Amino acid sequence: MIEFRDVYFEYGSQSVDQPVTQAINGVTERICEGEFVVVLGRNGSGKSTMARLMNALLLPTGGTVWVEGMNTSEGEMIWEIRKTLGMVFQNPDNQIVATTVEEDLAFGPENLGVEPLEIRKRIDEAARYVGMEEHMGHSPHMLSGGQKQRVAIAGILAMEPKCIVLDESTSMLDPRGRKEVLDLVRTLNRDRKITIILITHHMEEAVFADRVMVMDSGRIIMKGTPGEIFSRVDQLKEAGLSVPHVTQLMHELKFRGIVRGGTTLTLEEAEESLKGVLVKAERKADVIQDSAVTRESGEAIVRIRELTHIYMPGTTFERKALDGVSMDIMKGEIMGIIGHTGSGKSTLVQHLNGLLKPTSGSIEVDGLEYSSKILKELRQKVGLIFQYPEHQLFEETVYKDIIFGLTKMELPEEEIRKRVKRVLEILGLSEELLEKSPFELSGGQKRRVAIAGVLVMEPEILVLDEPTAGLDPQGSEEVFSFLTELNRSNGTTILIISHNMDYIAAYCDRIAVLNNGSLEMLDTPRRVFSHEERLHKLGLDIPEITRLFRNLKGSGYPVNDHVLTISEAVEEISGIVSGQGWDKGGMIL
Amino acid sequence: MIGNITLGQYIPGESILHKMDPRSKIIWTVLLMVAVFVINTWQEYVIMGAFIALLLVISDIPVKQSLKGIKPLVLILAITAILNIFFVKGTPLVKLGPVMITYEGIISAVMLFFRLVMLVVAASLMTLTTTPMAMTDGIERMMKPLERVGVPAHEIAMMMSIALRFIPTLMEETERIMKAQASRGADFDTGSLFKRVKSFIPVLVPLFVSAFKRADELAEAMEARCYRGGRGRTRLKQIHFTILDLKASLAGILFLMILFGSRFLTNAG
Repeated sequence: MIEFRDVYFEYGSQSVDQPVTQAINGVTERICEGEFVVVLGRNGSGKSTMARLMNALLLPTGGTVWVEGMNTSEGEMIWEIRKTLGMVFQNPDNQIVATTVEEDLAFGPENLGVEPLEIRKRIDEAARYVGMEEHMGHSPHMLSGGQKQRVAIAGILAMEPKCIVLDESTSMLDPRGRKEVLDLVRTLNRDRKITIILITHHMEEAVFADRVMVMDSGRIIMKGTPGEIFSRVDQLKEAGLSVPHVTQLMHELKFRGIVRGGTTLTLEEAEESLKGVLVKAERKADVIQDSAVTRESGEAIVRIRELTHIYMPGTTFERKALDGVSMDIMKGEIMGIIGHTGSGKSTLVQHLNGLLKPTSGSIEVDGLEYSSKILKELRQKVGLIFQYPEHQLFEETVYKDIIFGLTKMELPEEEIRKRVKRVLEILGLSEELLEKSPFELSGGQKRRVAIAGVLVMEPEILVLDEPTAGLDPQGSEEVFSFLTELNRSNGTTILIISHNMDYIAAYCDRIAVLNNGSLEMLDTPRRVFSHEERLHKLGLDIPEITRLFRNLKGSGYPVNDHVLTISEAVEEISGIVSGQGWDKGGMIL
Repeated sequence: MIGNITLGQYIPGESILHKMDPRSKIIWTVLLMVAVFVINTWQEYVIMGAFIALLLVISDIPVKQSLKGIKPLVLILAITAILNIFFVKGTPLVKLGPVMITYEGIISAVMLFFRLVMLVVAASLMTLTTTPMAMTDGIERMMKPLERVGVPAHEIAMMMSIALRFIPTLMEETERIMKAQASRGADFDTGSLFKRVKSFIPVLVPLFVSAFKRADELAEAMEARCYRGGRGRTRLKQIHFTILDLKASLAGILFLMILFGSRFLTNAG
């Protein structure tokens, strides 16, 4: 179906002092019809370039790429190739052309010169297939991210392709949207035998593949079945990747000689092999004894009382985004805020620095209540970092961008320099970057520079909306580790909005759960995640590890079901297996 | 939230106006607007107003919606009307020092007011009954003959529809960037005019950067879906000049004849 023969690709340099970038470095590979292939790789490993070489958006600078016997470098077959091989891109917004769903689905077939009646037939069918038939007349900006990507896929289906390439198409979606898209491509592969090439850095998405390829510096460094790939945990880590949490857990247990066998990929497999080493027994219900609870007796830095926010009141678009939320945020805690898209998370945090004014109720930040006079002071106290903060960089140099906020504070030059230096240290950025243009940096660096611009103001409270969105596993890990460091060394209170339950569970002291603008729960991760059914109703998951242990306990095995992280899980299992765990239920907590 | 605003204000419906070919709607809107400028007697105003009111009834658009377009113009309307009241010379009604309000002034202010209202309503009748897509389609077809003299009709229409598609997206983005910069201490509301204009640089630069990036990605996505200009392209929605358009056009011509016919009659009388 697709064949790479010794392919090289380099991006031309844009200036004299900028070297050419070797994006693809000798790839020879064959993808067969009907395969489901997942390509993994850290940011900048060349995987997106691979995708663009497949449908002749880019032409190889060395070697040849063949699609169904057509050479992409021969210009005349280009439209045939693109018709055969459809591509879904990363940003759902930037690939929808038309003002209504229907017109957008028709865009491809129109370009191919298909007859109007036939187009009608095809797009109706495609819309039904992806479950968007009720949204035909809708404007694309009213859709959710997952829906937009489904529209993009339907638009390609209407061109009757044999292969669909998804270039990080799930990376900007929330878990719900990601699941929608993944379920859809899996069905397409199974029922219609459409070849799927899924490019991603979400490891869990690779589990269902027929074959996984791992890319780094323009080469395919590993390939094989998901089982084979995920057994090489250390090699994956070197490539800036990780393995799914259950795989990691079983890997570590194997290392300790507790379990045997091949690589574990799914929760079910892990459950089975753990059942093999555990003996069924009675266990008293575990009492959660969280040290973090003591923080509740600490000092509240933010007091929110009956906070309600209504957007566009009095119009047909009126929407209650927050409904009587009351809570305290303690000085020095790390709080996670979870809830599905539209639950009011962003609205809530925008009240913290006065971007939004309460419709009713009150919010008091370190003694300050909202009024236009204290906005400046409030915004110095509360640093708010939006999703994809790198999109706000604008200055000529990194240094100027970082100090943008500081210049408004009338600080002496020396103090400014000192602060910048300190922030660079926390974020692990080198001082050489300061004189560069922010637009020259890599994605991960840009993100950190943008975060630096807020940190230099030395806020007492730092709020981050999805700080790891679009970052690969290594990048995400780094973000959370410097946040913890900041919290520990400066005592900064940190609020994190995230969809990633594993990170939230591992790093937060408390979690606030929002649903439809109301506060559903506010407690320690352990307590919050013990309500699996309740969270499920809100469209939220619990960490995979916790689910594994709940399942085991449900089947009558004597494990503590409040385990949250891999290291806790390893302790728990090895404790039980070595026979000490019987009477010390919950000792690790 | 800006994101909720529907673009092009189209209100779905099944009326004759909704079903007409966008081309005939565009032509007739232009003709009506010209007519609104030409009329100048109160009889003509009455006929014109009645006709537009009739169209409004036919269109099934709530009156409130069609008048919405006037709201942002209220200030301009008021200023022009007031200027007219004070500066048109004629029979004085009230005299306040150097300021004089004349009979003619009031008449002309009232007429101007109605003229502008009719203009806005006529124009919004079209935008309220035509989807932006149909409108650009209509414009493309109307410009088709000009392609022979080198006017890129298809490209212009494509650009217009993409612009329509991205306006809400870019508005959301602007809001987001402004909030982000405000969180970093940017201040958009105080200071001198120069300072305020300058404070928009942190918004404009990222906005442009992202707009170019979007343009880039969109072009790539369009190419990947086999877009190669207007040639050989078919359309899902065909627009046809139907018997309905013919009837509507005849009605329109009849109306214009009555409107300007009355002018000859009153002249003769």
